[in-house]
Amino acid sequence: MARRFQTTVRRRVTSAYSVHGSELSPNLKHVKLYTNECFPCRSNEIDQLLNLFKSKEEPYPCSVYVYGGPSTGKSSIIKHVLKNLKINYVMINIIECYTSKNLYEIILNKFSGLHVYPLNGQPYTKCENLMEFTYQLKKISSIINLNGSVLVIDKVDELRDMDLNLLNALLKLKELTGISLCVVFVSEILFEKYVSRSNVCEPIKIYFPQYTKEQLLEIMKKDYNQAQHLIVNNFQKPIHFDLTFYHNYLNVFLSVFFRACKDLAELKHMSKVNFIKYCDPINQNENTINDSVTLWRNMAPLLKSSLETLYLRVLIKNSAKSVEIQSKEFLFSKEKLAQSLELPYYAKFLLIAAYLASYNPVKDDKRLFMKFHEKSKKSIKDVKLKSKVSEHYNTQLGPKMFSFDRLLAIFYAILDKKVGFNNNLLVQVSSLVELQFLITISDNCSLDGQKYKCNINFEFVNTISKMLGFNIRKYLSDFSHM
Amino acid sequence: MEEDQTVSVSKGVFVFKNGIKAGSKKSKSKKKVGTSLHLLSENPWYKSYETLWTSLEEQIDGLNSEMFSSVLGSLVDFVGESYRFDVDEVPTAALLTGINMPDHKAQFTSLAKQLKDNVTEHVACLYAQDCQNIKYLVDNLINQFVNEDRCDSDEDDMEVVDKPQRIKKSLFSLQLLQGWYEELYLTETPKVEIKKEKCKNKKKVLVVIIPDFEAFNPEVLQRFILIAYSYINVLPIVIVLGIATSLSTLHTSLPYHVSSKVSVQVFHSKPSTEYLNKVLEDVFFTLDCPFQLGGKVFNLFVDIFLFYDFSVSGFIQNIKYAMLEHFSYGNAMSLCSESKKEIKQLIKKFKHEDCENTRRLLSFRKLVESESYENRIKLLTDDDYFKIVLEEEVFKLRKYIRRLHIFLKALWILVCDLPKAPLGKHLREIYSVGTSQSITKSQEYKECFQLLNFQSKEELCRKIERVIMNVGSIVNVSYNKPNKLQEFVINLKAYLNDMDVENNEEVDVEILTDVTNNMEEPEISGQMDRKQLKEKLLGMSKQTSKQMNRYEQIRQSLLNYLSETFEIYLTKPSSMYFHEICFFNDISIRTHIIGEHRAAIHSALNNPHHYLQCNCCDFPETAIRSCMPDISIAYKLHLECGKLINLYDWLQAFVSIIDPYDDDEDDAKRIIHPELQARFTQAVQELEFLGFIKSSKRKADHVTRTTWGG
Repeated sequence: MARRFQTTVRRRVTSAYSVHGSELSPNLKHVKLYTNECFPCRSNEIDQLLNLFKSKEEPYPCSVYVYGGPSTGKSSIIKHVLKNLKINYVMINIIECYTSKNLYEIILNKFSGLHVYPLNGQPYTKCENLMEFTYQLKKISSIINLNGSVLVIDKVDELRDMDLNLLNALLKLKELTGISLCVVFVSEILFEKYVSRSNVCEPIKIYFPQYTKEQLLEIMKKDYNQAQHLIVNNFQKPIHFDLTFYHNYLNVFLSVFFRACKDLAELKHMSKVNFIKYCDPINQNENTINDSVTLWRNMAPLLKSSLETLYLRVLIKNSAKSVEIQSKEFLFSKEKLAQSLELPYYAKFLLIAAYLASYNPVKDDKRLFMKFHEKSKKSIKDVKLKSKVSEHYNTQLGPKMFSFDRLLAIFYAILDKKVGFNNNLLVQVSSLVELQFLITISDNCSLDGQKYKCNINFEFVNTISKMLGFNIRKYLSDFSHM
Repeated sequence: MEEDQTVSVSKGVFVFKNGIKAGSKKSKSKKKVGTSLHLLSENPWYKSYETLWTSLEEQIDGLNSEMFSSVLGSLVDFVGESYRFDVDEVPTAALLTGINMPDHKAQFTSLAKQLKDNVTEHVACLYAQDCQNIKYLVDNLINQFVNEDRCDSDEDDMEVVDKPQRIKKSLFSLQLLQGWYEELYLTETPKVEIKKEKCKNKKKVLVVIIPDFEAFNPEVLQRFILIAYSYINVLPIVIVLGIATSLSTLHTSLPYHVSSKVSVQVFHSKPSTEYLNKVLEDVFFTLDCPFQLGGKVFNLFVDIFLFYDFSVSGFIQNIKYAMLEHFSYGNAMSLCSESKKEIKQLIKKFKHEDCENTRRLLSFRKLVESESYENRIKLLTDDDYFKIVLEEEVFKLRKYIRRLHIFLKALWILVCDLPKAPLGKHLREIYSVGTSQSITKSQEYKECFQLLNFQSKEELCRKIERVIMNVGSIVNVSYNKPNKLQEFVINLKAYLNDMDVENNEEVDVEILTDVTNNMEEPEISGQMDRKQLKEKLLGMSKQTSKQMNRYEQIRQSLLNYLSETFEIYLTKPSSMYFHEICFFNDISIRTHIIGEHRAAIHSALNNPHHYLQCNCCDFPETAIRSCMPDISIAYKLHLECGKLINLYDWLQAFVSIIDPYDDDEDDAKRIIHPELQARFTQAVQELEFLGFIKSSKRKADHVTRTTWGG
């Protein structure tokens, strides 16, 4: 029975392409038009959704799986469609459900339309497990008819880390509860990624593809009004521009950004930030609005530099109280980072020692750190190995772990002064671990023989050692033979 | 419980109610603490310590809030403004704090307090150790928001009895938080308005402070940010992150789909070295702080700060410890007090023992030796005379400290920006030189004055002006009668005037030199060979160098004057009598300040007498006696060995020390008593436990030494 149902539904989905609203009711038509207007370039997907949920007489499918990249309009289109079709639906985000108990309770609370009252936390549906969940759902359904409702679950990816039976149960919720309840999953990954042994009943899948560049352009053009507001808010003198001007800007903008990022939300944000910069020459009367070539020439380097801050929404308040996005130099230059970092003197040496311990093989320790070591005989093999290309450099491989004793031994070897071995020194090691410059490898239970790895790169340690007047290359086996 | 309650003719068991027992216990313990404090507080030295420390603490606290006020102010503004407009991301403040954790606690608590006072009462502070996973984090968060608010309101209106105390932990979820928040701000029923007046105001933001970003599990934090983002339209959450290292850690620990959900605003707080300098200059290097650290101790503390931990609070605690050590010497130290009046009164009240206590100070001997014979006896025996001298000397000492600071600061202004800064860039560096030796005799000081001799006029004038301002401000406030300090200022002003005048005269001088140049010019232009020309030029350059212009003359005499004055006032503290009263220079507190566990274990094992104080082991360190503890014997024997130690040989040696009477010829065949062997095994085990040896895999019956040197 279920199989037959599924096939009929599938037929319905596929038929969406052929039937183009010719037999749709006026209400549905209106919804379709309206949705298409709000979400351009998604007509296929909207059609598919509408076909599934268009009539209340026909039963909804058991489960629908909607997937596609980030910000391709999955959740918002579903929400919009369901809302306009006047279907009773509940939308939850798995991200806040860190336990399955939490998930059940949120769903139940939302379905029963209860508000949690903070004074006593009541009325509150308590639900520990799946059995209880289905029972409670039935109970709610006996009061408020849940037939024909839809449960939308966002960010289903997280389900993979939760109870094993959860996905299966949600896929078959209709069967388990006997209520005609449709579950819509929204996810960013393929359904096949949910590895499960038991026979899962496959949901109906709707794929939301990435927007193309043209589509993005069209969508972002809808922000024209917003951009005008932005200009009014940011410049004293209003600049009047038309849609083509904005279109030109977006074209320029996307030509730089499209290759790096297809996330609509992020693109919108970046375009907002950069639009002000784009209009700045006009504001200062250096350019006219029509001079798009000069504007482009102005903009190109700025866009490239702001490409570096993609996804990092950082504002730095400087003393002049003006807010601006800092150039990449500040954020990313390792030299600045190392210079701006304040570390006590010995902590710096400990860090250098940790780096040396991580990136030197143990067998070289004697040669590097002891003042009177016997000269190592260079075999031909060694020489060959060293003359080989830089693939063999330890500094280019990942850090190796080292023991605490070795760290201290190297620390004392590289330090000229005689330093007392005291507790303040040892505390530094743990504070370096806390700052994530060192990583503990062994578990915390064994107090003895802790093992660490160094978590900094060569440029960083090089700047620090330069500040201390310490030649680190001399002590690295990769460089010492040069 | 009182004894007499249980006195009875018959034997019996007496029942006391639990509550009473606990109460009595508590009061007892309280009393005990009270009495012990009471005992101390009788002593004058403790009194002066307490007044001094409380005043210092107040100053430090004031300084703290002042230091952070600018950063905190802008942070508080940011939080207040964050939800004024619609937001697309979770507003986040990243406070770059610098690496020292312990110092930050105060900073974040004051931030929370300011936020509570000015912006919103909903502030939650999450520490990494309480938030191992997302469930704990959310529970903790909601608990702080929902329940703490409840406690506050309970205090306000006690009559509302039916209100349950706390929400159970099992009920915590974000739904609950949402419900709570909506009830607070969205319901427009008048009942709420009456109950809480603040609710009438606009919605208040929920601030989440995360002081130790690095220590957090990044996954937990990511999840939390995503949750906050999903609730962005319902709950206005603002996140404040305390980042110890740098901003890039934020980006490395958050993937892009998370980092695009927050809009980060960065705030910098001041580096801790600057903070230390500020504390030192404003609290300890002031004219009215009587307690001074001697050079050695001061250097020790600064070294600990710079080399080990960068912790200002640690530095202050160290000073506190030094103060405790200093004052606990005895009542002589009570003279280390702020007001003159008090010192006079204290000296009046001095008993004979107190005088003796003071006489035991080392510098007293110098004082005695410098006096004539009769006076010596008087000083040693006559308390009244001694008191007069003491008062005089203490006042002298006070004056000396005052001037020391004034002139050190003047010197600092002069030399702080010299190339390479021979005396250091910071006041604390000059202080440490000035208190450990006579600064005017040091090599660096001479270098500085040589460099000053090359200073241009503008720079020198600016410096002198600053010195005048600095010294002048102190002089005008506190003294009216003309004294040495005022004289100093007046003299400097005169020099400045001279330079100004010289400025006007300069034109004349230039003309004069022009004239001379003109006169000399034809001589050069006359025909000469190369050698002659060279000689001529050399001679000319010599001449000009000999002739100092007027500015140079003034500079010379000014520097001479300055140097003379500095020589008078910047003497080393140990040249003063009774300097011990105000200067604490006992380096032996080093072992208390810096814990050296390895050295402590070594000395315990190598010289058990040091800790045990027994009579039997009182002999030079090298000897090994049978009366020592077993582990100590084993340890001393192992010190004599090489890298690998043969257990059997070690056992033999051990037995021969413990049981030396057995003088058999063939040692090897000697039967070892099982008890001795057991003792030896235990000692070896203990050594292994302490980490001095470990079992060797290379050779059977051998152990490896793990430590070297002693």
